[in-house]
Amino acid sequence: MLPAAVLVVLYFFLPVILTIGISFTDMSSVTGFSNWKFNGISNYVKIFLHPDSLRIFTSTMFYVACTLCFFNVGMGLLVSVLAYHLPKKVGGFFKSLWLLPRITPAVVYVLMWTMIAADAPYGIINQHIFAPLGLPTSNLIPNNAMFFCILVNGYIGASFGMIIFSSAIESISKDIMTSSLVDGAGFFNRVRYIIIPQLRWPLLFVTTYQTLSLLTSFESIMLLTDGNFQTEVWALWSYHKALNNYYGNFQYGFGAALSGVLVVVGVVFAIIYLKFFKFGELVKEPLIDEM
Amino acid sequence: MQTIDFILHKEEIMLKKISTILLVLLLLLPTVFAGGKKEEGPRTVTINVWTREGDTNHWRADLATEAAEDLNAQLIAEGSDITVVAEPYIDGGDWGGFKKKYALSADSGKAPLIVISGHEDIATWGAAGYIESLASSVDEIKASSEQFADVKANLWESASSKGQIWGIPQDTEARPMYFNKTLLKQMGWSEKEVEALPSKMADGSFTLYDMLHTAAEAVEKGIVEPGYGYWHRPKKGGDFLQFYVAFGGEYYDAASDKLVINKEALIKCYQFQRDCVEMDVTPSSYIGTEWNIWHDVVSNNKALFFNGGTWMWADWAKNYVEGGEATLFKNIGYGYEPSGIRNVKGITLSHPLVYLISTEEASGSSNQDLAERLISLMTTTERNTRHAVESGHLGILDSQDSYAPYLASKFLSSTGYLLDNNIFQPNHPMYGIWYDSFWDNLVSAEQGEKTPQKAAEDAIKVMKLELEDQIIIK
Repeated sequence: MLPAAVLVVLYFFLPVILTIGISFTDMSSVTGFSNWKFNGISNYVKIFLHPDSLRIFTSTMFYVACTLCFFNVGMGLLVSVLAYHLPKKVGGFFKSLWLLPRITPAVVYVLMWTMIAADAPYGIINQHIFAPLGLPTSNLIPNNAMFFCILVNGYIGASFGMIIFSSAIESISKDIMTSSLVDGAGFFNRVRYIIIPQLRWPLLFVTTYQTLSLLTSFESIMLLTDGNFQTEVWALWSYHKALNNYYGNFQYGFGAALSGVLVVVGVVFAIIYLKFFKFGELVKEPLIDEM
Repeated sequence: MQTIDFILHKEEIMLKKISTILLVLLLLLPTVFAGGKKEEGPRTVTINVWTREGDTNHWRADLATEAAEDLNAQLIAEGSDITVVAEPYIDGGDWGGFKKKYALSADSGKAPLIVISGHEDIATWGAAGYIESLASSVDEIKASSEQFADVKANLWESASSKGQIWGIPQDTEARPMYFNKTLLKQMGWSEKEVEALPSKMADGSFTLYDMLHTAAEAVEKGIVEPGYGYWHRPKKGGDFLQFYVAFGGEYYDAASDKLVINKEALIKCYQFQRDCVEMDVTPSSYIGTEWNIWHDVVSNNKALFFNGGTWMWADWAKNYVEGGEATLFKNIGYGYEPSGIRNVKGITLSHPLVYLISTEEASGSSNQDLAERLISLMTTTERNTRHAVESGHLGILDSQDSYAPYLASKFLSSTGYLLDNNIFQPNHPMYGIWYDSFWDNLVSAEQGEKTPQKAAEDAIKVMKLELEDQIIIK
């Protein structure tokens, strides 16, 4: 336990404590790491009063909810269920395809999206679909920016759930799966009454893990829109303030306070999920010991 | 059973040992990477020179290597036992990442002795104690070296803050309004009218709205595709300050050393950006267009007007246009950014890069004097001209005005006059925050997400909150 405990404290708790600590200071590029002062809760007051806070928070929730529902959990579950019902090799092939976005370097992957969506004659959709149909062409990202952000992240994120759900479905007893067919269950009933109830634990894990992951991930949004067109999410806002100001004055204290808010939101989500999925029941000792 | 217990016990001990070793290694990992280089000896001084952007701009850092040879020759002649080794480093990332890298290295005492960055960094890095003040007046810095005395007088303003000189200008540029001569002629403009356009842009008789109307006419006549009448910079960058200033905006009050925002000018500036889209001369979904697409469009006769930097000329000639500079001169003209107000002179934004010298605390080196001498030798007429000509940057030295290789560059010698009425961004530590709110709301206004009025009000609200007493609202 000790090595694990040391690692957790060193790499998980300490950064959180340091971040919260910095959030109570005026630390910035101007003060450097030596001349800063504690400024109480003024960074949090600034967040509360900031005209952009509510908009960015709403955008973040929308982005997390959509990516989670339609891709990271939804698409992951769909692909794993469909692949299970296909011949093994065919299912494996489709599952491998879904891993491609994850193994492609983020910069290359996002650049591919920008070229897919670019205006004619440079963009694939505009040049090869819209233009031949006589439809007006334009760069598709600015007017559908959040949609593209969700799509770009979703195609990466779906593979995580797919792997977890696939292995969980494979581990469902063959007797139960077969007997469901004997009892006359069709595809949808089998999924609804046999597969999903058996996936409660992996669903809890993927939903919780991916929610927290999406709340703090921003790299593909940064590469795709850099937060323009109402796609600034909370984590990207924090990054922009603390570490990537165009003119180089990094607001470490304010950025840390933004991250602090994210930590609180993450904890609240984790507690809600644990209650919603009845985590206590899932980890209860089985009534009969397995042989 | 006992044997099994013994084996299990041994394995448990082995696992514990491995875990402990791994844990210690993990803990030591950061210190291994943070170890840094050892000093190379008492008689060798290594001067690291950092900048970003390679390709046509590589001389910014690479000049240090040959300048170090000259410096060593001087040191030998002086009887010194010091040998200087210059280590140029060109960062391939963006400016934000580069500045972060420098700030973090300076805070940990491992900054390069020389960093070449935008002049606006002077305020922040000076306040943080990362960079040295070099002189307390222009006369003092000019007196310190023959090359510094040759630097154009107006450029020192960009290297100054709080009455001190903090940097040596390395290069500068202008951001002209380019126009396509071939397309204008196709619209029915005579050769004479086309040739007269730069002077009309300069004296304010051709305004930003005249440009929009001309662009709209070109779209209407089918000379350019809808949305291709006028292309501004497609991504974030200092250029947009010009448009705000063109409508009478002020951004800095030197007397109080505070930033300024002028609501009326801001609304007009945002309205102009929105009108570009509404008049169908700029695409409705334009911001964020990839640079390679942008360069291809503007340099190949697909856009009528476009706002860019002088340094782009060299890139277009080298990488985008068949026939290089000759084709560019045939098709493209340039002048000041037109004013938004009739009969008010056109302007341009210059953004000099400056050589900055890190303090002893930031760099861990006490060889600032040698760094200054190295910069001086990088600033010779021949060396700076080599960089200017190859990269499309304007000269920074008076001597270049009569230096044949500089004059041989038709583009540089024909754009130098733009520096007669230029503006610099302010050397104020909070300017980045000012600019962020200005830019974010400009995008919203151009996209039609907010009305220009609402966008301006929101920008001011954010500035008020984030800049506190550092902003004057007019």
